[in-house]
Amino acid sequence: MIPSVPAVLMDLAGKVAANAAPSVNPVDRASALGLSAMLMGLAAESWDSAAHHLVMENRAFRALLAKGAAYAPPPAEHAEDDFRLSALAAENGRLRAALITLQTAVEGRDAAINDAIWAELRASTERRKTQGSAV
Amino acid sequence: MSHPLEPRIAAYIAAQMPDATDVAVRDLSRISGGASRETYRFVGSWTQGGQARERKLILRRDPPASLIDTERRIEFEAYRAFHGTSVPAPEMLWLEEGDGPLDHPFFIAEEIAGFQAGPGLLWAEPYLGTHAKLAERKWTILGEIAKADPVANGLAEVMPAVAAGDCWNRELTYWEDVLDADEAEPLPIIRAAIRWLRANPPPPAQKVGVVHGDYRTGNFLYDTGGEIHGVLDWEMAHLGDPLEDLGWSLNPIWSFGRGLAGGLVPQDQAVAIWERSSGLVADPAALHWWILFNCVKGQAIWVSSARAWLDGGNREPIMVYPAWAMTNAQDRAALQVMGRL
Repeated sequence: MIPSVPAVLMDLAGKVAANAAPSVNPVDRASALGLSAMLMGLAAESWDSAAHHLVMENRAFRALLAKGAAYAPPPAEHAEDDFRLSALAAENGRLRAALITLQTAVEGRDAAINDAIWAELRASTERRKTQGSAV
Repeated sequence: MSHPLEPRIAAYIAAQMPDATDVAVRDLSRISGGASRETYRFVGSWTQGGQARERKLILRRDPPASLIDTERRIEFEAYRAFHGTSVPAPEMLWLEEGDGPLDHPFFIAEEIAGFQAGPGLLWAEPYLGTHAKLAERKWTILGEIAKADPVANGLAEVMPAVAAGDCWNRELTYWEDVLDADEAEPLPIIRAAIRWLRANPPPPAQKVGVVHGDYRTGNFLYDTGGEIHGVLDWEMAHLGDPLEDLGWSLNPIWSFGRGLAGGLVPQDQAVAIWERSSGLVADPAALHWWILFNCVKGQAIWVSSARAWLDGGNREPIMVYPAWAMTNAQDRAALQVMGRL
């Protein structure tokens, strides 16, 4: 999730503290706290599975990139030894960029790899789906 | 507790109404949402010609950094062009483009009071029985917007011109540039959609008309009888292919998980209403192009809201909400339109 959950929670912590002051106008307090509560709910929903989903996705992307190496050289190997969400998300971004390059290269040339990429992209959205998702 | 904006708004209104005395503002409250503008409702009162008067009003003020960058004059003029026509729109009163009076540019309009805008209420009583009528009104009004003559209503003077054959390319290029500038992580599904859109362009627009730019369930005021009393949020209005608006209204993200156009009726029913009202034809292939385009546009808007927060220009929680709640759903919408979900 971007912006990252820790960054947003830190910001919300400041907002909640600031809105505890009796001098804050109720109009502004209601606006700030109502949305803050919604964001905390979304953060809570995603938190437990966030690292698991990123690890699964990164492994699936690496496998696809290795499979399509003849069309686009895969990015340099990256040891999977840092399981902080920030590190996993950074690696996810690197692999997603490489996947775009690979899919652009195989479109119209290799239906099997293209279909495998689509299957993983679909699976990725299933993993990231939240309760109440519009689609 | 009086809000600090109230006396400042009153001073501004007093300056616009030299014949009025005792100008005052009360009951200011902020309307939730409004990621592109801060929206407040309030009651303005004054004395004019010896008579005490009051009016429910709306203030729409630019935030420090917005989810979408728009020209407020174009938004203001779009409201003005349609007010009093078959497209219900609130009356615009004053546009202020300077930072002096209220720190950021704003406009003040009449409040069309007593109706709902939030889509969430529609999925429960007393609204469940109104969906068919509401859909009839919704896509009839959108057809009326498509039918409008931008030269006759003056909007051709304030909105940049575009050739019928270039509508698609101008819009796709604009939103692709937004993605290039603002995305914080690569978006493989949306990039694949863009490649398909460029490889399979739609035919030239049947006419270059006024495009509302954000016409969807949630951006109009409705009642318990299925009537629509005001079309809101014209900040992305521009000249273009009317199919663009129809495509945005049919973006699956606005189905609210109900599998229906706008959460209201099957898509073919919505399209038939629009065709009847606009007098235009929604060629299925061209409409498919515009629905997928609107998945790209939607994602660009959600990405922009995240960017505004990340860069520190706007740390309001409303800037995070679309990025967290809509990004994956918009990806799924694009997959659905491409037949991949």
